[in-house]
Order: sequence, then C-alpha cells, then structure tokens
Amino acid sequence: MTAGSFFTSFDLSAFINALILGISIASIWLIAALGLTIIYGAAGVINMAHGEFIMLGAYSSYMLQSSFGLPFALCVPASFLIVAAVGLIIERGLIRYLYKRPLDTLLATFGVSLVLMQGVRLLFGSDPKYIAVPPAFSSNIQFAFINISVFRVVVLLVTIAATVALWALFYRTRFGVQVRAVMQDKEMAASFGVNADRVYMLTFALGAGLAGLAGSLFGVLNIVLPTMGAAYVVQAFLVVVVGGGTLAGSVAAGGATGELQSIFAYFTNDTFARFVLFVLIVVFLRIRPQGLFAPSAKRR
Amino acid sequence: MLLAMDNVTSYYGKTSILRDFSFGIEQGKCLCVLGRNGVGKTTLMRTIMGLTDRSTGDITIAGEKISGAPTHQRAKLGIGYVPQGRGILSEFTVRENILLGTFARHDGRPEIPEVCLRMFPYLKANLDRRAGLLSGGQKQQLAIARALAVDPKILLLDEPTEGIQPNIVHEIGETLRTLNRELGITLLLTEQHIRVAKRLGDAFLMVDNGRVVASGPMPELTEDIIHKYLTI
Repeated sequence: MTAGSFFTSFDLSAFINALILGISIASIWLIAALGLTIIYGAAGVINMAHGEFIMLGAYSSYMLQSSFGLPFALCVPASFLIVAAVGLIIERGLIRYLYKRPLDTLLATFGVSLVLMQGVRLLFGSDPKYIAVPPAFSSNIQFAFINISVFRVVVLLVTIAATVALWALFYRTRFGVQVRAVMQDKEMAASFGVNADRVYMLTFALGAGLAGLAGSLFGVLNIVLPTMGAAYVVQAFLVVVVGGGTLAGSVAAGGATGELQSIFAYFTNDTFARFVLFVLIVVFLRIRPQGLFAPSAKRR
Repeated sequence: MLLAMDNVTSYYGKTSILRDFSFGIEQGKCLCVLGRNGVGKTTLMRTIMGLTDRSTGDITIAGEKISGAPTHQRAKLGIGYVPQGRGILSEFTVRENILLGTFARHDGRPEIPEVCLRMFPYLKANLDRRAGLLSGGQKQQLAIARALAVDPKILLLDEPTEGIQPNIVHEIGETLRTLNRELGITLLLTEQHIRVAKRLGDAFLMVDNGRVVASGPMPELTEDIIHKYLTI
C-alpha cells in the first residue's frame, strides 16, 4: 500500500466523528473513575466495590422510575443520594475499622461487592432492566458531517459539571482544605483540629454517590444487570492508576485513554483498539508506575 | 496550672517511652525541656497531642482533662503544635498552611490572624508560594505562624532551632521571646541550644530515659546537671 492510497482511504469526516466519539468515551471513562479517584486519593482505600456502587446507581434509577414514576432528570441526583447513603453505611459499619490495613480493605470491599451483587439479584432478579429517557435524549444530533447521540452529550455535560463541582469542592472550600491536608499528612491535620475520621467518612460517601450518579447514566447507555459493575470497574481502575490518584490525573488519563481507544478503533476495530490500549497502559506504568500526576504524600 | 501531666506513661506498641511523667506549667511561663537525643522529648510532645499509640495517667489543660480525647479535639482546647521537622504540608501554599491552623480555633474564624503576618513579614509577602519551596528557617517561621493561627493558650515547640542556620537561631529565639513576654503565650519547648534555653526559659525540665530527672527555675540549672545529663 502506498502513502497515496492510504490518504485516499482516509476519510476526514469519519475521523473527526471518531475524535468526537473519543471525547464521549473519555467522559464515560472519567465519570466511572471520579468516585474511585477521590476515595483512593483521600482515604487510600482501593474500593473493589466501586463497580457495584455504579450498579446500585443504575438500579436506584430503575426503581425510582418504574415504581415511583420519577422523571429521569430527577433519578440522576436521587441515585447519587441513595448510593452515597449506602456508602456512608458501609464506611461506618466496616471500612473505618480497616484504614490502617490496606490489604484488608481490598478483601473487605471485594466481599461487599459480592454481597451487593447477590443482594440486588435477590431483590430484582437476574433479567435485564431498562431505564427510559425522554424522547429528546434518544435522538441524534446532526451537524454537517458530525453525528452523535444526544444522550452521549448529556453524559459529557454531566461529567464536566461533576468534575468542576469536585474541583471547586477540593480547591475552593474549607472542607477541601481539610481533605487535602489529611491526604498529605494525617497527623498534622489532626494536630490542627481536622477530624480525619469525619473527612474519610464524607469522602467515601461522596465517592460512592459519584459512582451512583455514573450508574444512573450507564443504565441508559447499556442494559441494567446485577453484574454490570464489573465492566466499568476495570476502566475506572485504569484511569485512576494511570492518573496517579489525583483529580487532574484522572481527567488527563480519562481523556487520553478515551481518545486513543476511539482513534485505534477508527483504524482497526473496537476489540483490537482495547487490546492496543491496554498494552500501552502496561508499558506506560512500567516507565512511570506512580502515574501522570502523583501527589508526594506521606499518608499514614 | 495551664498544662499538667500526672504520672503519664506513654507507649509505642508495647514499649513505654515516657514513664511516670509528671510536671506542670503555669500560664504565661516558658518551660524548656532538656535532654539528650532519644530520651523522650519528642514523645512528650506527641503524648500531649495524643499522637502516641497509647498513654495512661492524666493530662490536663486549664483544669480540663484531655487524656483520652482524640488529637483533633485536644488541638481545639488551644494547643499550637510546632512539631520536630516542622510538619509543613509541602503541596500547600503558605496561605493554606496557615489556614490549616484556623481549623483548631475555638471561635472558628476562617481568616489568617493579623499577628501571624505581623510577626513574619516574609510570609506576608509570599502567601501564594508553595510551602515546599521555602528554606528551613522560612518553614520554621511558617510552622510557628500556623500554630499562632490556632489562637493558642500554649505553644508546643519541638526543637524549634534544629537544623537552622546559626544566624537565624537567634532570630527564632527572639521571636519566641516576643510571643512569650509580649503576647503572653505560654511556651513548652525542647531545645538543644542551652544558650537559647537559658535566655527564654523561666524553668527547666531535664529528661533522661523517659523520666524527669531534674527540674526547677532556670537559675537552678547548674553546670553539674548540664554536665551529667547533656554532655555526651
């Protein structure tokens, strides 16, 4: 194949569409990872139940919609609150006893994930559920040669809003100063009146709530199943690890991985694109194991 | 007594570092804790803050019992802590480091108190500089400013002149003297420079092997005691 034939086969409008789809994929990767990022970043807990928190978010929206007829726009924030409450209960009942034993939190949260998955299966059954959205959301935006579904734009906007809100919370509020102080040096934070226990509790609940928010959106993009969390948790972990556990890192890692996946998929296909991406991530982590933006923290 | 310890034993794991430790410090005074490296001076500070694994015995601040309370509640009773190594949060700006101190204020006011900036003009001019970039002496100033932001009744200063250029040691000493004599803040400090200790302190506490071995007003700190417990 000569260079000439390569360029004639290169379709610019399709490629631009792939780039735009990449932004959408990036937003999905990022919103799946936001909650995990702050739980890992602030409390150092590797939350294996993150995927199940996403799944709970999807079921919360499904339940509110099918049983109470709540409009979808309200199901999204409601899922945030419900899963945040579940996260709060799990943190108070289990996780808080394990902060000094990171390996045990790994095992405990894995146990929690199994309990949540089976619990939902008992309550709702194993058959797939669907979340309905207003007709406007299920149409496509057509602009010149650009073509993208409205709901993907909604996901992108929610992701941007959630990220900006998190940034403002962490960098523009007194609570944010407390969280970042605990992240850097728990003893010094406590020595100046910061209740680290409370900070951990609230961050865990917030992280869980963000997973719930993501789940209510993913339930529309895909079908709702008790096992759906597993599909997202891998992506979420990759974003957090590549990013280094900071908010800025997750935004950069989510953006880069989403775009790369879409570009590779344009030249090959989805499966091969994921394969190449995962190989690249392994190579990247071999060179830079601390991730893109790693904090220089002494945790505890 | 503003701060008092009564028969306190403090542990890391199962090892006791302080043993049957008792002393008291009156409002407005400056007490210097002296002793060789590793005798438990830092552990004394950490025990007051509740940062050791476990401690028995009573610690009181202005008559209120604090032993048993978690660290963040102790801080709110008016303790400004300047730890060994300064404990500056290097990712934070100067401003954020000082603001951290305000979380322990009993009145909960979120502004940087004016006194912090008046005492340390360098900090005032560099509020948005990242604290990790400061020199050792500047970090020590910042650590003291942060502790002042607590609006403390008492400052705990762990080796405030350690690792600081000799010409700045005197300066830090004078700052502490101002805080003590003019602002009336009670000081409890550990100090290696015997000259600084003698100029600042009203009283001394000599520690060896986790116990108080000598104490009294500063004039009673004789060459004999210094020779016996400080000279290596």
